[in-house]
Parts: sequence; C-alpha cells; structure tokens
Amino acid sequence: MAVYKRRYNSYTGSLTAPWSRFFVLTRYAFADLFKSRFFVILLILSLVPTLFFAGYIFIANNKTAQLLMQLRSVSLFSVETPYFLVIMIAQTQAAFLLNCWVGPVLIAGDLTNGALPLFLSRPFSKADYVLGKLAVLGLLLSAVTWIPCLLLFSLQAGLARNGWIWPHLWMIIPIVLCSAIWILMLSLLSLAVSAWVKLRIVATGVIFIIFFVPAGIGEMFNAIMGTYWGRLLNFSDMFRLILINGFREPTGLLGPIGQKQIPVPAAWGVLIFVCLLSLVILKARLRARETVRG
Amino acid sequence: MMNPTIELNELEVQLGGRTILHGLTGVLKSRAIGLLGPNGAGKSTLINTLLGFHSPSKGSARVLGLDSHTDGKALRSLVGYMPENDAFISKMSGVRFVRYMAEISGLPRAQAMERAHEAFVYVGLGEARYRPVGTYSLGMKQLAKFAQAIAHGPKVLILDEPTNGMDPPARKRLVELIREIREASDICLLLSSHLLRDVEETCDEVLILRNGQIASICNLVEERRANRKFLELETIGAEATFIATLEGLGCECAVFTGGRIKVVMPDSVEIREVFKVAADKRVQIRRMNHRRDSLEDIFLSAMEQTGAADGRI
Repeated sequence: MAVYKRRYNSYTGSLTAPWSRFFVLTRYAFADLFKSRFFVILLILSLVPTLFFAGYIFIANNKTAQLLMQLRSVSLFSVETPYFLVIMIAQTQAAFLLNCWVGPVLIAGDLTNGALPLFLSRPFSKADYVLGKLAVLGLLLSAVTWIPCLLLFSLQAGLARNGWIWPHLWMIIPIVLCSAIWILMLSLLSLAVSAWVKLRIVATGVIFIIFFVPAGIGEMFNAIMGTYWGRLLNFSDMFRLILINGFREPTGLLGPIGQKQIPVPAAWGVLIFVCLLSLVILKARLRARETVRG
Repeated sequence: MMNPTIELNELEVQLGGRTILHGLTGVLKSRAIGLLGPNGAGKSTLINTLLGFHSPSKGSARVLGLDSHTDGKALRSLVGYMPENDAFISKMSGVRFVRYMAEISGLPRAQAMERAHEAFVYVGLGEARYRPVGTYSLGMKQLAKFAQAIAHGPKVLILDEPTNGMDPPARKRLVELIREIREASDICLLLSSHLLRDVEETCDEVLILRNGQIASICNLVEERRANRKFLELETIGAEATFIATLEGLGCECAVFTGGRIKVVMPDSVEIREVFKVAADKRVQIRRMNHRRDSLEDIFLSAMEQTGAADGRI
C-alpha cells in the first residue's frame, strides 16, 4: 500500500508476540491520561505525602537535623510498624481518589461508539482486553501505594542501619499483599462501573455511592439489629481491618479494636466477592456482538 | 487442494432461545462472496458467527479451513472486519485510531504507524487523518472503518454494509477500492450489503439468506459467462399453447400473475421468432423487456422460491 503507488499490498512483515498485545491498550491509555493536566496534578498530589513521609524518616534518623530544629523528644521520631501503617492508609486513600478519576473512562470510551467489536474481531480476547485496562490501573495505583511505601521502607532501612531491616523485613509482605487486594478491588470495580455507565461524572459518582451508601446501610443494620455484621458492607473498613491485621497492630494510631470484631477472613471474603462480582459484570457487558434484528 | 473460502456444515445458531440460523449447509469457493438477504435474514448473525462472536448450537462454520468456534483466535488473526454500526474511538485522531487497531493486530509500532498513514491516504482521507474521528462525517467514518480493516493486511476482509451513508461518488470510490484490493492481492472478501449493485460489482459468488436459511447460492461468474438472455413479457391472451410452443423452440418459461412471462432464450432463438409465435397464437404482447440476467433477478427468484414475493431487502 505504498503511498506513491496508491495501491494495496498485504502486510508480510514481523508481528509482535500475542501475549504482549494487551499492553498496547495500556500504552495508549497512559498516553491519553498524560494529556490531561488535571490527571498529572492529581498524580503529583498523590505522591506529595510520600515526600513528607520521606522527610520525616530523614529527620528521625538524623541527630544533627533534630538538634538544628531544636527537637528533643526522640520518641516523637520513632519509625516503626505504626508509621508504615499510617503511610499505607494515606497512600491507599490517594489511590482511591486517583482510581475514581481514571477508572471510569477506561472502558466507557470504547463502548460509547461501539469500538469493542473492532478489538474482539482481532486475535485479542476479552481477557486480553480486561488485562490491558487492568494494567493501567494496576501500574498507576502501584505507583502511589506499595512502590513508594517500599521505597520509604528502604530509605528507613538505609538510614537507620544497625540491623533495623531484619526485625522489620516481614512488613514487606503486608505492604505488597494489602496493596494488591486494594488495587485489584478498586481496579475491577471501576472497570465494571466504566463498562456499565458511559458518562465519567456519573461513573465517578457511582463509585463513591458503592463505597459510601452500603456502608451507611450497614451501620443502620447494625443499629437496628444490634449486631456488627453490617460492617461487612463497608469495603474501606474491611480493607482497614485487613491492613491492621497484616501489620499486627491491634492498637495504636487507629485506636483500640473492640471485642466484637468482624473476622479477618470475612473481610478478605468481602473484598474477593467484590472482585468476582465485578468480573461477572465485565463479562456480561463486554460483548462483541451487535444487535440481531428481526 | 485449496480450502474453500467459507464452508457451512449444518450451522445452527441460537440467540436468546431463538434459532436465528437454521442448519445452513453450503460451500463457497470464490474469493469474493456477497451476502444478501432481507432484514432479519441472519446476515449479521452469520458474520458474527464466522468471527467467533457467537457459538454455533449445532454444526460448524469454517473460513479458509479454520473452524470459527475452535480456531477462533487463529481465524481472527487473518481477518479485517468493518462492522455495520458505528465503531470508532471518537477522541482519537483518525491515523492514531488505525495505528492503534493495527498494533492490536500484532504490527510493531513503526510498521503500524506507516501502514496507518498509507491506509488513510489509500482510502482518500489523507487530509483528515489528524482530525478526531468523532468530527468526521458519516461517509468519512465509513472510510476510517475501512482503513482500520485493511491496515494490518488481512487475508480475509469482512465488510458489513460498507457503503452505508455514503454519497454516490464516495460509494463509487469505495466500491472501486474494494474491487482493486480484490484484484491486486490474494485477499478473500465477504461483503454483506443491502445494495445489490455493490455486491454485483465486487463479488463472484452470492449467498442469499432468508429467515435464517440459505435461499440460494449463486456463482455470478458462471452466470455472467452463461450470458443468458431474458425476455420479460406482459401479455394478454397467452395460453398454455403459447408457452408450449416457446418451450418447443428451446426456451425456458416462467409464468407469473397478470400475464407476465419470463422467457430464457437460447442463443439460437431470435426475438422475431417470439413475435411470430405470438402472432400465430393471437397473443398480444403489451410490453417487452430484453436483458441479461441480473443479480436482482437472481435475488428475486430466490425470494420467490422461498415464498417471499415482496423482495424487500
């Protein structure tokens, strides 16, 4: 199909590996996202707390800086498990906000003008499609959750020296694992909403509703029935429960945990259930076929 | 031996509990196949089944020897598909949209970019390639869809109503492009259209569907080669003896209501002999139309044979 000849020639060149093609979606989605100034600002704001956390770690490990700032209480600057728990809570909240902005446009843009048959008429499955879109949120939310948290962990390990890392090495597992379930749940949920609702503003609203309305209903249920199982509908709360349990932190910055507590496996079950439900919605909504008339 | 382009074997497709395609069986060997039928005949369902979007409830469909259900991915790696309805990403520029689709088909970045530009220039949208697809006119959107279907160099091109919404010059240009692609390469073409002319100008073989069944499979090349002459007569007083005499001359006759007779004439018979027989039998010929068999005749004949005389498509 050379331009100067203006005639059709079939393509005989090399092809990319089939397994890698899902990443084309991710690459194009990122290119579109970074065109938005609002997104770039939001991303930077999501990473600002990390700078403060890093500064805190630096001061906590630097006696000269503490003297210069005329701070005498050493206990104020303890960088231990609760500190990383706070970092995780702050960053997962930032991830939630970022997800609310980015997630709703990922699939809706393709569904609005019926582009889905074009993807699925190629050697490209629904699973590849979802994987490509999921990778956008996965990479983005990782960049504001477990990656900065591990960087701060490394910074603390490097500055504290004298073997600080060895008794704290176990924290890497809850940092990665808790981030993974939160990222997976947020990503799948927002993709499912994006596949259902085409308008960004409405889809963002729906995500907020999914997080806050069932939580309110759950509290009402608790108050009426005199139980605590209604908390199962509070997804953020369930994640926090997993996080606290993962960091082996029953008390401290988040306050004491009462006797009547939802079992941690139930909290995992709720988040996994939301993931599965989102997958079912995605499977139902992502259809290549067109309307069959007659 | 080369595989047939499309092979249908008792293909049955059910959607929502309703049977849409009823045991289609047929072999289409030509490189350019037209798909015709009234609304609801099952054309789009057949295309979607060939693309693997629907699973057959019975039987099978093969394209170039690949089963649409079990070899779906391999089959789709050969296909370029232009859907009937709107299918684009509105905020993307035309060339980026085509490049995106080519990359998903497996072309490396640089080649995808090159082919996207070439495809856009080829379809005549070179000037508009940096504009968002959402701002294109209906005809331009059709051309952009066509560009994305050919950019990755498919072996099978499936076009569903490609000339929908195009003005006559644009339609003519697209039909020319389709014909050119067919002639310049070894690409196989499956074209579904409501416009018989589009199919007649681009295809060698036609599959006519009605109510989810095959009404006819017709090889247009053979029909054209046969170059059969037809007379359409409107008569008064034509009785069985008139028909019998014409048949005695070697003509094939089909009688319709209102004195209409369709006569297929062998080469040896001249029109003046028909007039002579009419004069002998005292039959008034009120109107005569002399022409070759067209796709329209084939289509209408197929509709009539299956009990649909209205011929709406």
